Formats: sequence, C-alpha cells, structure tokens
Amino acid sequence: MPDEASPLFILAPLLAFACYLVVPLLIPVLTSFPLPLGYMGDILGGGIILSTAGFLVALAGTETGSPYAQLGSSRAMTFGALIEPTVLFVVFVVGLITSTDLPYAMSQAVHSSLGEVLAPAHVLAAIAFFMVVLADTGRIPIETHSGTLEFGMIDEARVLEHSGPAYAFLTWGSSIKQFILYTILIDVFVAPWGLSSSRELGSVLSAIPALLAKAMGLGVIFALIDNSFSKLRLFKIPEFIVAAFVLAVLAVVIFYLGGAS
Amino acid sequence: MFVPPPILTSTAEVVAVVVLLATFGMLRAPLMTSQINLYRLQSLAVTALVVVVGATHGLVGIYILAVASFVLKVIVVPAVILSLLGEADSNIAHSNVLKVPSMVLVALVVSLFGFITIDALHLRSATLPAPALGIAVAATLVAFVIIVFRSDVISQAMGFFSLENAVSMASLTVATAVPLVMELAFLFDLLVAVVAFGMLMRVHHRRSGTLSTDPLDRLRG
Repeated sequence: MPDEASPLFILAPLLAFACYLVVPLLIPVLTSFPLPLGYMGDILGGGIILSTAGFLVALAGTETGSPYAQLGSSRAMTFGALIEPTVLFVVFVVGLITSTDLPYAMSQAVHSSLGEVLAPAHVLAAIAFFMVVLADTGRIPIETHSGTLEFGMIDEARVLEHSGPAYAFLTWGSSIKQFILYTILIDVFVAPWGLSSSRELGSVLSAIPALLAKAMGLGVIFALIDNSFSKLRLFKIPEFIVAAFVLAVLAVVIFYLGGAS
Repeated sequence: MFVPPPILTSTAEVVAVVVLLATFGMLRAPLMTSQINLYRLQSLAVTALVVVVGATHGLVGIYILAVASFVLKVIVVPAVILSLLGEADSNIAHSNVLKVPSMVLVALVVSLFGFITIDALHLRSATLPAPALGIAVAATLVAFVIIVFRSDVISQAMGFFSLENAVSMASLTVATAVPLVMELAFLFDLLVAVVAFGMLMRVHHRRSGTLSTDPLDRLRG
C-alpha cells in the first residue's frame, strides 16, 4: 500500500466487489419470480448500490495523489452525474409501464406480450439504457477499454495505482458490473425469455445456458460497436449522453401524453 | 369498425417514432452527408407508415402515394442534394449559435410543447395510434429548430424537407382519406422546393465560395 494512502485504498475494492455481489439479488438473473430478498430494493436501490461501488472505486483512485487516477475519478464522477438523469427517466418508464419500480414486474410485463416489447416507450427506454450501459462500462464510443493512453482514460484510469489482489478485485468487480448491466438490459428490457418460472433445480439450472447465450449475443453487439466506431473526443461525450437522455425523455412523453400502449 | 392487431399498431408507433428520431439525428449530425442519409431514413419511415396504414385499413389507393413518396423522397431528392454537395466540395454542417447538446435540449423542449399542445386538443386519429399526431407535430417543430440553428444552406434545406415529411405524417394522421390528387400535389410542392433550394445553393456557393450562410449576415457598405 502506498505510504500516503489510507486503509480505504485497500478496503474500497473489497467493498465495491461486495456491492456488485448484492445487486443480482434484486434483479431477475435466472428466475422470473423474485428471490427471497428480491423485494429488499427496487430498481433505484440497485442503481444506488452500483453508484456506491463506483464512488468507492473513485475514492480509492484519489488516495495516492496520482494525477492520472485522480483525473479518471474526476471524469468518472462527472460523466456519471450526466448519465443519472437518463437512468432516472428509464426508471420512470419502468414505473409507468408496470406501476411499480421493481425489475421483476417489468420483466414479467415484457414477457407477457410481444406488443409490449414493440411499444415505442419501451423501445426508446431500452435503447437509452443500452447507451447507458455503453457509457457505464467504458466502451466505445465513450472510452477505449484496452487503451493505454492516459489522457483519454476514464474508468480505466481510476485503477492505475492498484496492483495485486486489490487490482484483481477491481477488474473482477468491473466484469461483474458489466454482466449485471447486461442482465438488466436482457432480462428486464429486451428478452426475458428462458428464465425459470418454477423453483425446481433443473428448471433454474437450465436458465444458466439461456442467460449465457443471451449475454454472449449482447457481447457480440458490443464487440461489433467496439470495432466499428472510433472513440469520441472527451468534449463530445456529452453529445452522446444527451442523445440517450432525449430517447429516455421521449419514452416517458410518448407513454404519458400519447396514451398508454 | 376494423381494429388493427396490436402488433401492427405498435409497429406503426415505432415507425412514427423513427421519423422523430431521424429529425433529432439530423439536428445533431456533424456532416451534411449524414443529414442527407438520415433524411433518406426518415422518408423511408414515412413511406413505411403509409404502407402500414394502407395494409391495416384496406386503403388500396394509398399505395400509389407510397410508391411516389419512395421514389421521390428516398431516391431522387437525396441524389440531387448529394450531387449538389459534390459540386460544392464541402461536408461540415455549420452551427455557430449553439453547441450540439444545447440545440438538442432546445429541440426537446419544443417537441414537448408539441406533444402537450396536441394532447390538450384531444385530437385522435382514426387510422394511426394516439401518439402519431403528437410525434408529427414534435418532428415539425424540431425541423424548424434545424432551420433556425444550422447555418448552412444544405442543413436548412434538409430541415425544410424534413419538415415536409413531418407534415405529410400529420396529414396522414388526421386526413387519411384525403383525395389522392391532393396528396400527390403535396409531393409536387416538394419538387418545386428542391428546384428552388438547388438554385439557391448554387447561387450562394458561386457568390460566397461557401455553403455557410454566415457571409449573408455581414454588413456591406
């Protein structure tokens, strides 16, 4: 541990990892019915836990006083604040469609009819959330995930000062966060099919390959975007975020003023 | 009364939303060629909407409008504008008044105004889903924003053509059974506009050496 850093430098990766492990309890991962603690928090609760993890990692990045880690932490918090309104409007859409803000209810509403999947408010919210996932996981066009140029880094720069087990927890946590966001996009918004509807072990186990296949499909789309577009300049990122915001706001407006679908 | 299946209603709604999103896309597109391609997409969406209305309500005559709209708006107009753009040898869309995020937020506010106004009027279409008219009016207002804030002749022309698409969608929503000859007359208006804008672009480019309209604001002694 660097001399200047407090114990938070080591603790933060572990705490962030713990946060990432809590979120799957609140969202439909393998089952269409809520887990015993599924009603412990709604979709906003999940968002707060993910934000707490991001905040802890950013805080750890500032511990050593390294300019690049601080730059990354500062940027991550800045763009995170810009993304928040989009996330809120996506949550509003979920609330308007299902009259609750529980991800399980949204998943069941989408599962119940194909017309719901094609409803414009739902399509717009899903696209807005897709863009949020791109931004939140540090993918092109926001960030080059495998880049080594510090000036363009956002998420990656925060962890530059860590090494060893702490760094392992940070990268592992980052992968878990990506998988959680993939799962929310797939199982709540786009394709909640293949989830287990009974408590039998065989049924639950059979949902695992279905989830992995859907996540791989989504991963292919992300990889295609990663390899087809270039990274936006830092000052162009708000344009991307505002596009997602417009989609989310239009989703709410079309649902609310256009009449429920 | 014929009630279209929910999936066709949803499809019509999504296509209508594509028209609005294409208008927003044109507002933020940094390249003129991107704007032209988005106009092509928007026109294709309007054509698809005409086909969906024809299919769900058994209006056979409307297919003629769909074919004419496709040929003119998806093929001819973009080709003409692209050829004019090729002669000008310039592709960056200018906007000196506001940055892109601010322009998009202004457009969002005016589109909300459109939605709220139509909602207050309680107008309902017999052929398209409830949000279609609000979307058409919102797209019309966003097209005005393009014309106001973009400061080059191509963007302003594309804003005008986009406005025409939005008005077509609005007329499809409130007056689907309007005589075909009138619908075709609207398309003829578009042709006249293309010719007029084409001449303006050529004259402006020849005189000022640029497609930007900024030189027009300068005082001359």
